[in-house]
Amino acid sequence: MLTTLVLVTLCGDIPVDFSREVQPILSSHCFVCHGPDEGTRKKGLRLDLGSVVGVERGILVPHDPDTSELIRRITHSDPEQRMPAMETGDELTADEIDILTRWVSEGAVYQQHWAFRSLASGADDGESDWGHSPIDGFVGGELKRHGMNPSPEADRSTLIRRLSFDLCGMPPTPAEVAAFVADTNPDAYGDLVDRLLARPAYGERMTLSWMDAARYGDTSVHHADGPRDMWPWRDWVIEAYNQNMPFDQFTIEQLAGDLLPEPTLEQLVASGFHRNTPTSDEGGAIDEELRVKYMVDRVKTTGNVWLGLSVECAQCHDHKYDPFTMKDYYSFYAYFNQSVERGFQTRNGNERPLVSIPNKEQRVLLESFAESLRLADAFLAEAQPPAEGLDAWIVSEREVLLQSQRPILGSWYSLGPFGGKGPTCVVARSKPFAYNTDHGPERAGLDVTQEVAGLPWKERAADEDAKVHLLNLPNNSAQYLLRTVESKIDQSVMLALGSDDSIKVFLNGVEVFANDTARGTSLNSDQVSLSLPAGKSQLMLKIVNGGGASGYAFEMLGSGLPDAVQAALRVEAGAREAAGLAALKSHYLRAVWEPGREQVAARAALASQRDMVNAGVSTVMVMGDLPGGRQTYVLERGMYDAPRKDEAVQPMVPEHIFPLPEGAPANRLGLARWLTDPAHPLTARVTVNRYWTMLFGRGLVSSVMDFGSQGERPSHPQLLDWLAQDFIQSGWNVKRSLKQMVMSATYRQVSRASQDGLQRDPENQFLARASRYRLNGEFIRDQALSVSGLLVDKVGGPGVKPYQPPGLWNEVSLNGNLRFVRDMGQNLYRKSMYTYWKRSAPHPGMTIFDTPARDVCVVQRQRTNTPLQALASLNDVQYVEAARNLAQRVLLAESDFAARLDLAFMLCTAHPADDLRREVMGEALKAQLQVFEADPAAALALLGPGDSMRDESLDPSQLAAWTVLASMIQNLDETLTRE
Amino acid sequence: MTNPLEENQRLTTRRNLLGRSTTGLGALAVSSLLGREAMGASLLQGGDSSVPHFAPRAKRVIYMFMSGGPSHIDLFDYKPAMRELHGQELPESIRRGQRLTTMTSGQTSFPCVAPMFDFKRHGQHQTWVSELLPHTAKIVDDICLIKSMKTEAINHDPAITYINTGSQQPGKASMGSWLSYGLGSMNRNLPDYVVMISRGKGNLQALYARLWGSGFLPSQHQGVKFRSGADPVLYLKNPEGIDRATRRRMLDGIERINRAKLAETADPEIEARISQYEMAYRMQTSVPDLMDLSDEPDSTFELYGEDARKPGTYAANCVLARRMAERDVRFIQLFHRGWDGHNNLPGEIRGQCKDTDQASAGLLTDLKRRGLLDDTLVIWGGEFGRTIYSQGNLTKTNHGRDHHGRCFTTWIAGAGIKPGIEHGATDDFSYNITRDPVHINDLNATILQQLGIDHRHFTYPYQGLEQRLSGVEGARVVNGILA
Repeated sequence: MLTTLVLVTLCGDIPVDFSREVQPILSSHCFVCHGPDEGTRKKGLRLDLGSVVGVERGILVPHDPDTSELIRRITHSDPEQRMPAMETGDELTADEIDILTRWVSEGAVYQQHWAFRSLASGADDGESDWGHSPIDGFVGGELKRHGMNPSPEADRSTLIRRLSFDLCGMPPTPAEVAAFVADTNPDAYGDLVDRLLARPAYGERMTLSWMDAARYGDTSVHHADGPRDMWPWRDWVIEAYNQNMPFDQFTIEQLAGDLLPEPTLEQLVASGFHRNTPTSDEGGAIDEELRVKYMVDRVKTTGNVWLGLSVECAQCHDHKYDPFTMKDYYSFYAYFNQSVERGFQTRNGNERPLVSIPNKEQRVLLESFAESLRLADAFLAEAQPPAEGLDAWIVSEREVLLQSQRPILGSWYSLGPFGGKGPTCVVARSKPFAYNTDHGPERAGLDVTQEVAGLPWKERAADEDAKVHLLNLPNNSAQYLLRTVESKIDQSVMLALGSDDSIKVFLNGVEVFANDTARGTSLNSDQVSLSLPAGKSQLMLKIVNGGGASGYAFEMLGSGLPDAVQAALRVEAGAREAAGLAALKSHYLRAVWEPGREQVAARAALASQRDMVNAGVSTVMVMGDLPGGRQTYVLERGMYDAPRKDEAVQPMVPEHIFPLPEGAPANRLGLARWLTDPAHPLTARVTVNRYWTMLFGRGLVSSVMDFGSQGERPSHPQLLDWLAQDFIQSGWNVKRSLKQMVMSATYRQVSRASQDGLQRDPENQFLARASRYRLNGEFIRDQALSVSGLLVDKVGGPGVKPYQPPGLWNEVSLNGNLRFVRDMGQNLYRKSMYTYWKRSAPHPGMTIFDTPARDVCVVQRQRTNTPLQALASLNDVQYVEAARNLAQRVLLAESDFAARLDLAFMLCTAHPADDLRREVMGEALKAQLQVFEADPAAALALLGPGDSMRDESLDPSQLAAWTVLASMIQNLDETLTRE
Repeated sequence: MTNPLEENQRLTTRRNLLGRSTTGLGALAVSSLLGREAMGASLLQGGDSSVPHFAPRAKRVIYMFMSGGPSHIDLFDYKPAMRELHGQELPESIRRGQRLTTMTSGQTSFPCVAPMFDFKRHGQHQTWVSELLPHTAKIVDDICLIKSMKTEAINHDPAITYINTGSQQPGKASMGSWLSYGLGSMNRNLPDYVVMISRGKGNLQALYARLWGSGFLPSQHQGVKFRSGADPVLYLKNPEGIDRATRRRMLDGIERINRAKLAETADPEIEARISQYEMAYRMQTSVPDLMDLSDEPDSTFELYGEDARKPGTYAANCVLARRMAERDVRFIQLFHRGWDGHNNLPGEIRGQCKDTDQASAGLLTDLKRRGLLDDTLVIWGGEFGRTIYSQGNLTKTNHGRDHHGRCFTTWIAGAGIKPGIEHGATDDFSYNITRDPVHINDLNATILQQLGIDHRHFTYPYQGLEQRLSGVEGARVVNGILA
């Protein structure tokens, strides 16, 4: 920034650039009171609009700063009169005043905010002949203007390591390094880039960044932070990158795959992007409050990822800096507010809407079941039961139905709780104990005046049917609820039940229904058909609370015969219509006639087998809208319960940024089409800037998540626009765009900085050298696994649980009893992106290295340097085990010290050891050999950690000493850094 | 090691050069450059050069966070008239249609429940304190009871996120990380922000890493969890077979090669990395030394309670908090779980108090005796209070209470807080505030104030907004409690 200002002052005859120089001043110092927010606006004056409100009042007199009220006020000698107003505590610097004054002198011309302007087309100015790619022309020209020189190309070993990490997240193997160094083909570099982009690891690497943006996790975040399965969506992303899906399609399918005409399974899975939203299962939560929270998260994420804008403040008030009103916000929000999801969601798996993703084996089984079921259905459709049997059945059923009366239901009596803790509980145990144990009343002929297991029955006379009742049960306890049911005749009735959590139903001591589940109470979670005998029966519910709130709901719905059958039976024989007759026949065929019943039973058995297979089938959550839509209102101060009923809004994009394309539907598909319109000013700029950041360590717009007026200006605006244009014109070709960037001479420079270069451009915004920065935490671990030969390089699948210090889950989990159980075997050595991501207690080995918790969209990671990182890479069992395996690998592969050391360094840094490194490591080896030969137990102890086997043929002291060396190499700056 | 003064000068120059960059990266580069060791003489400087804005009263904070929502009614906010209300329906004139959680909004009856415990007046100002808190009762003259705390949130997850980060939505920075960021470190051997967790016997609500996370701030400012057991800080211990001499040799070797790389590339991050590895090495002795209570005299355990001998208990964490305060850890946060008394409140709260009362009071007394209370701010409180009405059935001996955000009690002491006062008041039902409401953001603004920070100007640019801990709605410092 400073450099820019200095430059401008030096070249006084260059006109002021409104968007780069003037607008930031207005936006930071003036818009709060004279900007888009109606609530805080003073004197009705707006300075944020293209056509200035206030010119006629002499606020801005073009070419005449002396009579312009604005200039007069910012330079006023009386602090009471001077702007910005005293109470804001804000002041303008002399430079800022100078810029505003010159701007007015030059005509006070407003330009639209740079990021909302159409992409400029055009080549670089031809100032510089450096490099070979159009990118280099832009960068070289800018360097020249600043009197700086580009750096030479880095050596090939450095380049292949840089490329391998940037494009694939992995180090190159020594063989790859050797081959590339030796490759004399003039296209060697480009070929290498092509090879890397063709690897499955490329898709994984790109997906890792996308997981941060999409706030991907394996758990639901809020309250219980229960498990969910979104990994099929993550695998879709990997595949999409590897197939080089155009970015516009990538966008459309993730934002609106479900709304495409006849969407494929893959497109539905893609729409899961916005099902990564954190959800809650908190017992006392208000459904609408949560639902609104989810929509807000989706607006924020969409804004951050595609628009590079933060719009969240407009949830509560008009945006203070950017022209984004509350109405704009809720119109945008309305695209998402159509979702069918509830606010209160499960803590145990996936919440609807979802789709199943059977694997191959499951698919074969399911297809075979489907065929058998089809045959059974065909039989049932075509079979003709004997007419006389059917007629006789109709006559007798009609008689029963007409006579029948609603059973009479007695008061509820409760017994318990059993299990759990607390004064009235018998023993403290687990939920399975409470659920599976018969605590006493599981028998016929109960007498509510008699205690059971020392506890009395208590009447609950106030409990009404068809309402939710709370039970206040301790965690892990069971309660019984008993009532009499008196029926004049044998009849079948239907019960609608709700329970928090599990439920069993007993009729006269016999269990007739059971559902072991974890859920909140609602009115009709389970339907149970009950065959009531004539006379008095005892109906008993057993409710088991796993934790938190507890309760039940009960309603008797009427005859167990289907409604259509009942309706037909009530009609006199001669008056029945065809549909009624068909219903009667169908029921008779299936439920009464013996051959039909057999077929139905066989079909049910098949269906249950199919269901068992289905239960093992993975699902993934997808988007789905309410068929009738939902009316959206502006919410007063963003409060879910304060809709401004007089301010109904329809789904709409902020058209002052870019107009909605003709014919775009008023749903998420329309939104996605708007974002991916080739003329949209933001999507391509924001996207190529993200790629640039990934490859250069710093964005051309360094505020990667903020392209608004408060964000940074692009360091190379023409280059940014050129890249964006090129991206769009290539059909949103991601691999091409990345290749374009890494092929440049700009990318290939050495990262070495001169003292002068550091002083002049500490952040390297002008790119006179390559950037040098610490690898992502994932890459550091993956590198350790890879160089030690431990890596299990398998793409996709459910999250895995590698080593983790004990106790991290249960010390924060709801009820404190959720334990982390680590995996065994291959899952210990998978790439870090597959580590199970529990968002309330994410894996510390990753978060210590700045992996975000992913409970909120993050487009650019922090990059810190802390002692905890040193402790992790020195002491974590994962790294100690990797060091031992790296040591073993070099000991087995080479026979002398120098060759072994070179191999270790080649693996970790792509360069062999030099004299200094040989000297340091040689001394270390000598010292450690002495230590371990004197103390063989210490050697064995160091070789212990980790499940992988040690090669017993190697001398333990040798191996231990080399393990120390390997750990040192793993912790060198040059190993941890991408140069 | 280079001369710290020269080093500092170099860094300061660079800092000036960068100015107050609004880019994440600019700020990051500065903050990691100012790694503790590298900061040399300016050890007290944090990531925000304008902080402190004025002379601080507090150098450090100990926050005893009672997770789950302790019942203000059964502990502090007592009125004898409550006895008369016992069993009566909560009048609509009090509830005024205010929203309830869905755990009790379906109840047909809202019977008021007076505490099932005795209350007595204590101290110079005749402050009511429950019989459950006999030790706290003895320190009422040293603490300030804020009886008019309030929050909009009515459920745990949003409420605990709100009070710890200033927002009900995830993604923001926690208070401790703000302080670490703004004020920097006071010691070379321990983190700025330490978190310790203990569990009570009551209903346990979940905690989340975001409560001590750094949100949008550089993640080196996130709270570091200290835990009982072999590895008090994650990955602290050397692997078996690596002794201290070996580790020293390893670090020396690594440093030699890193220095060569530094000479070659001139990348200041390498200097910072060398410092961080040294700090890690020092932590390997400073942390176990801190955690080892064997040098504490018996009088410590008489003061904090015998529980303090058991690692991982709240009482043991209180002793550790004092030891950290002595070593100048900036922000020490204890989370004690189990205050969520929905069902069996009388039994559960008795247990919770037994676990915490003596140690909380003991810690305050200890700080006072050692002269640390003058510049240590101590806070005790949860994310909300509980309802006057019973959740579920009210029996002679048992009842529950639901969440209540409209008022609750927090106490605060030390570092320029008026001792022995009560601030704010509630109605007869302890349901609505009648005097001097203190929003949770006001409390947070006041904590910042005592640390020398004007909360309005303590901001961090992120996503086009000036983020601040005290929220956007204009929090106010509670001047009435400041000495």
